[in-house]
Amino acid sequence: MRYFVGIDIGSTAIKISVADENKNLVGHKISASGSMFYKYAQEALSELLKELNIESDQVIYTVATGYGRKLFKEADENISEITANAIGAQQAAKGVAQIKTIINIGGQDSKAISLDAEGNVVNFAMNDRCAAGTGKFLDVVAMNLEIGVDELESYHFKSVGTPLSISSTCAVFAESEIIGLLGNNHSVEDIVSGVHYSIAKRIVKLVKRVGVKEGVYFDGGPALNGGLVNAIENELGYKIFIPEYPQITTSYGAAVMACDAYLSESVS
Amino acid sequence: MHTEHTIESPNERQNRHKAMEAVHILNALKEDFKSPLKSMDYFYDLYEKVYCRHEPLHEGKTKIGTMCIQIPSEIIYALDAVPIRLCNGFYTDDEIGSDLMPQKSCPLVKATVGWFASDNFTDKPSIVYSPTTCDQKTKAGVILKEFGHDVIDVGFPRTKESEESRAYWRESVKHFAVNLSKFQGKKLTRSNMENSIKKVGYAQSLYHRLCDYRKEHKVPILGVEMFLITNAFFFDRIDSWMSAVEKILLELEERKRSSVHVAGKASPRIVYTGSPPIFPNYKIPLIIENSDALIVADESCSSNRMFNDMVSVDEWNLYDMIDSVSDKYLKACTCPIFTQNDDRIRRIVRLVRDYSADGVIYQAFAGCQVYEMEQRSVLAAMEREGIPILYIESDYSPSQQGQLTTRVEAFIESLKNRKRMKK
Repeated sequence: MRYFVGIDIGSTAIKISVADENKNLVGHKISASGSMFYKYAQEALSELLKELNIESDQVIYTVATGYGRKLFKEADENISEITANAIGAQQAAKGVAQIKTIINIGGQDSKAISLDAEGNVVNFAMNDRCAAGTGKFLDVVAMNLEIGVDELESYHFKSVGTPLSISSTCAVFAESEIIGLLGNNHSVEDIVSGVHYSIAKRIVKLVKRVGVKEGVYFDGGPALNGGLVNAIENELGYKIFIPEYPQITTSYGAAVMACDAYLSESVS
Repeated sequence: MHTEHTIESPNERQNRHKAMEAVHILNALKEDFKSPLKSMDYFYDLYEKVYCRHEPLHEGKTKIGTMCIQIPSEIIYALDAVPIRLCNGFYTDDEIGSDLMPQKSCPLVKATVGWFASDNFTDKPSIVYSPTTCDQKTKAGVILKEFGHDVIDVGFPRTKESEESRAYWRESVKHFAVNLSKFQGKKLTRSNMENSIKKVGYAQSLYHRLCDYRKEHKVPILGVEMFLITNAFFFDRIDSWMSAVEKILLELEERKRSSVHVAGKASPRIVYTGSPPIFPNYKIPLIIENSDALIVADESCSSNRMFNDMVSVDEWNLYDMIDSVSDKYLKACTCPIFTQNDDRIRRIVRLVRDYSADGVIYQAFAGCQVYEMEQRSVLAAMEREGIPILYIESDYSPSQQGQLTTRVEAFIESLKNRKRMKK
């Protein structure tokens, strides 16, 4: 059996996906990027292969992507995370949904990608203001509220008042706004839903810039937060597609690319 | 995987956006200042009712939309209807309207158009009267008509000195009165007109009494609180508005006796002029009052211009009353749409003197041409008078907060320095 590896080295986490010849996902791993991208990436890859009982010579082709892609020298090829994300999203949604727009919220940036009918990237936009409205932002919020990031969802749905909007786009200033709201005894629930809506409004503005069309795929770690998903859906006015493993779409796209690269080479 | 939660409809989304904007400002008023007035609770509740809970205020009454405060409310009240001023301060409506108006138009007009485009009202006006004041409002009336709303133009002159203008406007107001009277199926009579003039006059007198407290050395009320009160007159039931203001006056009297000052010892006193701050667009007033200054008076149509000048009736006959009402809306008006507008400059200077102000802040909406243009003559006049003035342009977006704050703070600090140097 031949296997293909996609490895996405992001600011916060390293995501690795392994696909078979039919481009099916056979396994994945997520580990923290930490201070030594390269070393951690190598370790994570060998651990994953061991878990899946795959010998390293069964791995035919490896594609690296993400900010740290150039640091992973063993890769046969590396591609930008925009392309990898687009390929991964369409493969993950194949047969279930037709994807026209992708929203990706990562650890320190957010992206909007629009695709044409053939699935090619036609336009994309990235946030231009540091960590505003990214995964890091949610971490800071949760820390200030003294709750876990995974609890944000349940707080969001328990909110009964008007969501309290956060006007600062900067994570640092937003922090002081949140502390101010807490100081005035506002409920954590309303603050959480307010934060989600503030991020959602910003992200919807970003996707509008690339010409959003229904058939929206949302990935990246924050897509695990159902509260944020709900806020984005309300801002857009329709349902969006959330993959089973939102964090690994881009690495999966790289694995699919690896498979395609091998197939086209073996044909020629 | 799809989430199982239902998705908001466009109107629900718009309502949530409005509630979020409203709550943000109301919380700032309640929480950011050292001594908020207790009797303001009526107004907080009123705004929450209308903009957060979206509950109607005027069920069973005919609501008359007015595109501008130049439509005489005395006539509307006399015919037993309720005026709803359609000037809008919501950013979310401004965004909706942006798709329907040219890029560089006024956010206030865009917000009104956006509001009508979505047709999402808790107190929907049955008919709209659109005075031909500024260009953008005049043309916006036509857009509302295209959406299928009943809009009637009321001709308004762009000069106010001439007798022809006066005659033209008096004629326009008569047409308006006849039209509304037919619409309502009610007659304008000497008694209902007199009652209505007196009622609106009483509301104005309450405003003047509020302002008197702002002339004091120790000021018991914030400028942002004043804006919230006067702005409520846009849509509130006039009787409840008046009794709420009476309660505020009692509290202010109490505060005066115990020498309460809402600002700091060194806080400069500001006269605010320019494009009207309409709830919840209190961005600039809040920046000013959060930067250790106090707005003691204003020259803007959402507040001072709406209340300052009374109708002065010679003979209490129906036609004389209508003419007197017309004159109030033309002769006393200091709107920059007029060719010549020395009255506005005189009023600003007078406010500075009467309210012992240290400086003027002139705010114009980017896209509000007449205010942007009149900036030159006002700035020159203030320089002649030796009154410090800051001119700022802003819009409804929440994004420029940082830069605007720095500019306002620097101006306020310069006023403080001047004061100290004088001593």
